[in-house]
Amino acid sequence: MPPKLSAADVVTLIDEANRAARRLHRKLHLPPADLEDLSQDLLLDLICRLPGFDARRGSIGAFANIVLRNQSSRIAMQIQRERRAQDGWMFSLDAPMAGSREPLKNLLLEEDALASWYGQRPFGIDMHHDRLATNCVLARLRDDERQLCRALSQFTASDLVAGSVFKRSSLYRRIAALRPVLTAYGLGPCWDDFGTP
Amino acid sequence: MTTATITTIRPKGPLTEIQFCAWVAQAMPGDRLEYHRGFLVLDTFHGLSKLGDNERNELRLLGTRAFWTEAQGLVHLVQERLGPDLFSYLAIARPKTRSSADAVTQLAALAA
Repeated sequence: MPPKLSAADVVTLIDEANRAARRLHRKLHLPPADLEDLSQDLLLDLICRLPGFDARRGSIGAFANIVLRNQSSRIAMQIQRERRAQDGWMFSLDAPMAGSREPLKNLLLEEDALASWYGQRPFGIDMHHDRLATNCVLARLRDDERQLCRALSQFTASDLVAGSVFKRSSLYRRIAALRPVLTAYGLGPCWDDFGTP
Repeated sequence: MTTATITTIRPKGPLTEIQFCAWVAQAMPGDRLEYHRGFLVLDTFHGLSKLGDNERNELRLLGTRAFWTEAQGLVHLVQERLGPDLFSYLAIARPKTRSSADAVTQLAALAA
């Protein structure tokens, strides 16, 4: 027979589950979006095991802690097993690919991006629009701004800093100053993106 | 005789510099945007403004950018007096300049 729980007990269970989820999430280096799922999985398992709770043997918090720890171990082992099965681990876009000095982000095509995986192919008309907007804005930029754009089109910001072409702070300040200019000429976020009617 | 209805966009919250630029990029000639309501000079002045440091700095950037877009021939800037020390600062989109118009023409040809 399931034990009767007070509102305070329910709060304790939820808090413990959330805490265990955060701990597991941090240890496994999981993406931020997985935290909510972890929390719910742990809480569900805990609720399923509540009939085994005996108040004479300890508090509900202690019971929850033991159950969550065991379930966390099971989830961790499952994730490790999946990673081994996939022959690899999650790695940073900044990490160089095997056999290449280029980081992964420099080698990925637009078609490989997440949007394309969900069926959002880049449209030709958008590309033409961007190209025309680029022509418009390049015609209006100052020489030093144009040179900065050219450098950024050929090298990453990290490369420019590493090559002592720019100081890091100076480079990012100039990029920040350039952003509104490019946006005003159509190369930037759209007005609708801000949700400001 | 044709009549045109002019509507002014009044954002619910304070506008940022980049939002203003995004509006400039997509605005049709004659479109109007109220980019600030108050007394711009005083609202950006430390000691007189009731705004916090970050908001005041953002407003200063917005004001500077509005002047820049006016200098670039992208918008007209006008003020409408609403009351004592209270103005509506409006940006009115100008027709696209020659190269922009060419770009739109080319785009239309591509789309056809």
